[in-house]
Amino acid sequence: MKRREFMVLGGTAAVLASTGLARGDDWPSKTGVVISAYPAGGTSDIIARLVADELTAQYGQQFVVENHPGASGAIAGSRLARSAPDGYTIMVTGSAPLAANKVVQTNLAYDPEVDFAPITIVCESPALLSGSMSAPATTVQDLIAYAKANPGQVNIGNPGAGTKGHIAAAILGQMAGIEVNHIPYKGSAPLVADLLGGHIHFALDAPSNYVPHIQANAIRAIAVTTAARIPELPEVQTVAEQGIDGYEQTLWFGAVGPKDMPADIVNKLNATIKAWTETPAAQEKLASLGLTAVANTPEEMRAEMHREIESIRPLVEAGLVQAT
Amino acid sequence: MDIFSGLMLGFATATTFSNFIYCFFGVLLGTAVGVLPGVGAIATISMLLPFTFGLPVDTALIMLAGIFYGTQYGGSTTAILMNLPGEASSVVTTLDGHEMAKQGRAGRALAAAAIGSFFAGTVGTLFIVIAAPLLASFALTFGPTEYFSLIVLGLVTSMVLTSGSLLTAFGMALFGMLLGMIGTDVNSGAARYTFGSPNLLDGLNFVVVATGIFGLGDVLANLETERTRSAGVAAVKGLFPSREDWKRMSGPIVRGTGLGVLLGVLPGAGLLLASFSSYALEKKLSRHPEEFGKGAIEGVAGPEAANNAAAQTSFIPMLTLGLPGTATMALMIGALIIQGVQPGPDILTQQPALFWGLVVSMWIGNLMLLILNLPLVGMWAKLISVPYRFLFPMICVFTTIGVYSINNSVFDVYMMALFGLLGYFFRKVGAEPAPLILALILGPMAEEYLRRTLMLSHGDASVFFTSPLSLGTLIVAAVLLLSIVSPRFRRVREEGLQEAD
Repeated sequence: MKRREFMVLGGTAAVLASTGLARGDDWPSKTGVVISAYPAGGTSDIIARLVADELTAQYGQQFVVENHPGASGAIAGSRLARSAPDGYTIMVTGSAPLAANKVVQTNLAYDPEVDFAPITIVCESPALLSGSMSAPATTVQDLIAYAKANPGQVNIGNPGAGTKGHIAAAILGQMAGIEVNHIPYKGSAPLVADLLGGHIHFALDAPSNYVPHIQANAIRAIAVTTAARIPELPEVQTVAEQGIDGYEQTLWFGAVGPKDMPADIVNKLNATIKAWTETPAAQEKLASLGLTAVANTPEEMRAEMHREIESIRPLVEAGLVQAT
Repeated sequence: MDIFSGLMLGFATATTFSNFIYCFFGVLLGTAVGVLPGVGAIATISMLLPFTFGLPVDTALIMLAGIFYGTQYGGSTTAILMNLPGEASSVVTTLDGHEMAKQGRAGRALAAAAIGSFFAGTVGTLFIVIAAPLLASFALTFGPTEYFSLIVLGLVTSMVLTSGSLLTAFGMALFGMLLGMIGTDVNSGAARYTFGSPNLLDGLNFVVVATGIFGLGDVLANLETERTRSAGVAAVKGLFPSREDWKRMSGPIVRGTGLGVLLGVLPGAGLLLASFSSYALEKKLSRHPEEFGKGAIEGVAGPEAANNAAAQTSFIPMLTLGLPGTATMALMIGALIIQGVQPGPDILTQQPALFWGLVVSMWIGNLMLLILNLPLVGMWAKLISVPYRFLFPMICVFTTIGVYSINNSVFDVYMMALFGLLGYFFRKVGAEPAPLILALILGPMAEEYLRRTLMLSHGDASVFFTSPLSLGTLIVAAVLLLSIVSPRFRRVREEGLQEAD
C-alpha cells in the first residue's frame, strides 16, 4: 500500500513536472495516470484498472489509477479537462461524465463534447428489465396493460437517479405512453434485495447481479434493452421484440483524454486498447463482469457520446429526468 | 452452506499466512491503542482505513475488526492500572478494577478482565455463527419500511444512552442528521447545502468527519490537559486468580456475556450500555453489594465480558442487514463498500470466505489477545507511560495522510481540520459526539428508506403501522423515549451514566 501511495505521488509529480507537448514516437517516456471516475471496486473502476494494467504491460511505463469519485463522475471529468494534453493523463469511465452530465448537470465545469478527446469505447453492457415473483406483469405488454389499467401504480427501481437504468426506464415509459414511478436506489445490491423480498415489483439495471437469481427462479427476467438478445439469458426477448419498435439502450464504458491530445498518441492508445479487447483473456475477464468488449475508433466514440447526449436531452426537457 | 462447512472455509481463510499476520497486527495495534488513553478505536480505524484499500477485502476486514475488539482488551488494562478508561466502554471497569489494583490485586483484576473478555469473545463469535445466517435468511422480509423503523430505534437508543444531558444528545443527533443531508439528493439528484462546491456533491465523507472529531479533536483536548495528567501506574503481581476469585467471577462472566451478546445486536446501543447493565445487574445479584466500588472482582469480570461480547455481536446487523449500530461499524461498512462488497443479506452467499473467515479470525484474535494481554501485561503498562508529546505528532501525520489518500483530495484534509476544531469544541462544552456520528450515517439512510417507503406506497404512511415488524420496532423506540420522561428511569440513567463518566 505504501508503495502504491508512493507511486501515486510520483505519478502526480511527474505529470505536474511535464512541460511542453510529448511527441508520439517517444511517448510514453514516464509514468502516466488513468483517472477512475468512480470509487475503487465498482465496475467502472475495475475496467479502468484493467486498462491501466494493460498500458503498463505494453509500454513498460507505469500507468497508475487515481480515483476521483463523486458527482456522477463530474469531479473526475473536470480534473481531466484541466490536465495537460500530453498523453500522460487519461480517463476510463462509464458514460455519465462523458454524456449524461452535459444535459443533466446544469453547472458542469466542462463540456464533454468540447473538452475531451475520445480514444475508444472499451466495452458495453446491456440493461435488463426484471420483475419480482409477485409482480403483476411478466412481459412488456403485460406491464403496459397493467400501467394503463392502474395509472400511477407502476414502480420501477433503478440503481441511482440519472443512471442508465433510470434513463432506459424513462425512455420505455415515454415510448410506451405509460406513467412510471422511478424509484432510485444506491446501487444494485439494495435493489436486488428489495426485488427478492417483493418490496418492489420491477427493476431496470445491468444484468450481472440479477442473472444468478433468475437462474434460481427468485427473480423473473422480462426483457433486455439491447437490439439483440444476450448470451447469458438467450431465452429472454428484447424490449423491441416485445412491441416497442426501435427501443435500444446500452451501457458503455470508454477512454478519453483532454482535448488537443496529439493525434498520434490518441491512435497509439486506441490501437493498444483495441488489441487488448480482442484477446480472449480480456474478453473472458469482461464477460465475468457481464460486459462485452467493443473497441471502436475515436470518431465512432465521439458520435456515440453525441447520440447519448441527444437521447437524454428530451427527457430532461420533458421533466422525466430532473436536471440538477 | 451449512455451518460446519462454513466454519471449515472460515478456518481455511483465517489461517492463511497473510490473514493470520494481519489479524495479529490488528489485535496488537488494538491493544496498544486501547491501552493509550486519548487514542481510540474509531480514530485508529479511520486512520488505517485508506491503507487497507490495497489489501484483499477479507484481510482488510480481519485486521480492522482485530483493532476494534483488541481495544476492548487494552482499554481495561489502563482502566485497572491507572484509573483512566483507555476506551469509553471500559469506564465501568475503573470503578472496581482500579480499587483492586490499589489493594495490590492488579494482576487478578487484569486476569478477570482478560478471561472474562475471552470467554465472552468465544461465545460472541459462536452466537454470530448461529444468529447471522438466521437473520440473513430472515432479512429479505425487511423492506424499506422495516429498515426505516429499525434506524429510528437505533437513533433513539443512541440518544437515550449517551452520557450528559438528553437535550445535548438530541441536539447532537439533529446536527449529525443535518450534516448528513449535505450532498446529492438520492431521489431527484438535486444538490443540497453544497454552496456550489463540487467537493460537497457527494456529501461529507464519514471517515473525514470521524477522523477530525475523534482523531484531531482528541489531540487538541489532550494537549490542554497533558501537563496535569498524572501518571501513576499500579504495579502488577500475582496474575493467577485464586480459587475464591474463580468462584466469584464465573457467574458474572456468564451473565455479562449473555447481556452483551444481546445488547450488541441492538442498533445504537453500543458497548457502554452492555458493560453498564452488567455492572448494575451484578451489584443487584451480589450477596455483598457493599463491596462494589471497593474492589469487587465481579464488577470487573462481568462488565468486561459484556463489552467484549457486544463488540463481537455488533457485527451481526452490520454484516447481514448493512445497518451500522455504532460509529465503528459504520467505518467497517465503509471499508467493505470501498472494496466493492455491499454488506447485506447476500453477504453469506456472495462472500462466504469473507464472512466465515472474519468470524473464525475473531475467535483466533481473541485467543491471541488473551496471550498478549496476560503474560505481556508489563510491556503494556510501560506503554501507558509513553509521553503524549511523542504520540500526537504521529497521530496528526497519520490522520492527514490517511484522509488525503481516501480520494486524493486536499479539500478532505481541510474538512478534517475543521471537524477537529469542532470536536475540540464539543469536548469543551461536554457534548458527546457519538450521537452526531451515528446520526451522520443513519440520518441519510433514514431519509432514503422513508422516502422510498412512501414512493412505493404512493404516499400512504400507514404502512409503518401495518407491517408487524415495523410496528414492533417503533413501539420499542416509543417506550424508550417515554421512559426518559418517567422520573424514575431518568434518575437511574443519570446515576448510571454519571458513574460511567
